Amino acid sequence: MDEPRKDEDQQLVARTQEGDASAFDQLVVKYTPRLYGLVYNMTSNHEDTNDLLQDIFSKAYKAIRGFRGKSSFYTWIHSIAVNMTLNFLKKRGRRFQLSLDDVDASIQNDKEFLEATASTSPVREADLSELQKRLNEAMMKLSDEHRAVVTMFHIQGMPHAEISKILRVSEGTVRSRLFYANRQLQNYLDEFRKNPVT
Amino acid sequence: MDEFNDNEITKLLRLKRYEQPTPGYFENFLHEFHRRQRDELLRQPLWRICVDRARDFALSFNLSTLTSYPAAVTAVLVCAAVISLRIYEAPQPATVAAKDRPVLVVPASTEPEWTLASPVATRVFNTRSLRNIKESAQTHRSATPRYVLDSVPVSYETTFKF
Repeated sequence: MDEPRKDEDQQLVARTQEGDASAFDQLVVKYTPRLYGLVYNMTSNHEDTNDLLQDIFSKAYKAIRGFRGKSSFYTWIHSIAVNMTLNFLKKRGRRFQLSLDDVDASIQNDKEFLEATASTSPVREADLSELQKRLNEAMMKLSDEHRAVVTMFHIQGMPHAEISKILRVSEGTVRSRLFYANRQLQNYLDEFRKNPVT
Repeated sequence: MDEFNDNEITKLLRLKRYEQPTPGYFENFLHEFHRRQRDELLRQPLWRICVDRARDFALSFNLSTLTSYPAAVTAVLVCAAVISLRIYEAPQPATVAAKDRPVLVVPASTEPEWTLASPVATRVFNTRSLRNIKESAQTHRSATPRYVLDSVPVSYETTFKF
């Protein structure tokens, strides 16, 4: 995490702690897209993600007076988000509904997206939307903890050290979870390629 | 048939970054957040609001340093209470004598009825129930009995001077 962003967050947190609600609004605006990606890829449901995000920011607002800055606000808010989402998933159990309709349809026209898919041979061969659907299903077959690590590392692009701080586990645990999750995803997607109709 | 390797899975997963909610979602999110906060505030009972305010006020101080003072004060108070209890926990000496003291009971039925035929001057009181000398001496323990006239000790009688 870069230092200017950290300093900016610290200032906004300090203003919020002094009672300036507009400073917290700026934090909400700043972190909503990123946290949306984190929570959505863990729940795969837009409505659940929306409710959870509201609860996450509400909890953060109530707790921010007790935030002493031992970690960055970035780590702190991500910890709240991951813990609340994991708790939600435990309550929800294994029942889940994929809401892939929420995925932006314009994704297939995105330049970076096209470049990424052009160099991926299995993606070229398979129907992209079907593959994405299978990938989401494979993600949901992972345990909640493994999915959280995959989401933060592969999708959000966080380093191992940051993930270990957020989850309060060692970096070795993060790496082993990633390894195990990759193997599982690989098996699920291979199965799909061998039996595309199922 | 090709198999997915780690690199391909990584690329595929990174595509999920582009999964976004419906347009305008992020713009409306803050309004929705404010609305929910207001609703939550209205639903809360008054005592809950007071507790939250008190908690926020307490959290505004550095509790880790402040908690040591009440703990120290509590420890001192507990020690002081224990010591004071031990000091004032002396035995009660006079309780046995008070227990054994004979109770003066004057049965009303033993006294004769007052009539005009028996004037007051000739009335004889039943002194049986009153304490005798021996009992009285017991109450004074080892002290020598003193003779009292009209509630004034003899030795204290003023000498007549003419």
